[in-house]
Amino acid sequence: MTPETIDSPNLRRNTIALGITWFVAYWCARAVLENPDLAVGLKVAAALIPVPIFALFLVLFIRLIRTMDELERRIQLEALAIAYPLAVLLLMTLGLLQRAVHLKFEDWSYAHVWVYVVMFYFLSIPWVARRYQ
Amino acid sequence: MKNRLKVLRAERDWSQADLAERLEVSRQTVNAIETGRYDPSLPLAFRLAEVFETTIEAIFEPDG
Repeated sequence: MTPETIDSPNLRRNTIALGITWFVAYWCARAVLENPDLAVGLKVAAALIPVPIFALFLVLFIRLIRTMDELERRIQLEALAIAYPLAVLLLMTLGLLQRAVHLKFEDWSYAHVWVYVVMFYFLSIPWVARRYQ
Repeated sequence: MKNRLKVLRAERDWSQADLAERLEVSRQTVNAIETGRYDPSLPLAFRLAEVFETTIEAIFEPDG
């Protein structure tokens, strides 16, 4: 038990806001990287812009986890326990399919597939939480 | 695991939110324990006993 502090709505709000900022930064970087005329240095800079934002998001997310009580932490853990094998299943299936047929890089590369990993996690949270309601 | 949380809470006229505040957990956690969907950790069980000024055995009993 003993969360470091009682669940802080501000911390939750800031974490969500930073998560959205990172997501927007990622898609902006993707859009910028579509420009073939851009200098390599600028492309690298654009590709790295989402990294510090995500790092900051991670710091807040870890703080948020530490404010949760034991049931909330258990829900997070169970959500991960579902999302991680699903991600493994997705990557394994894509890996095998890639050997069987030609998968378009534009649709099925790691640049696109990682979004599903995040999605599995966020979809698992309410699904797990329902068990304890 | 069966528990007498609802009875003990009613005796003191506490809502789930009141108890959650005393335990420093969410109301969802209190509800999950009360309905038997979640068994608390030992530290939380001790905290419950402390809040209700009783023993863990007086709150919880094993199924069957």
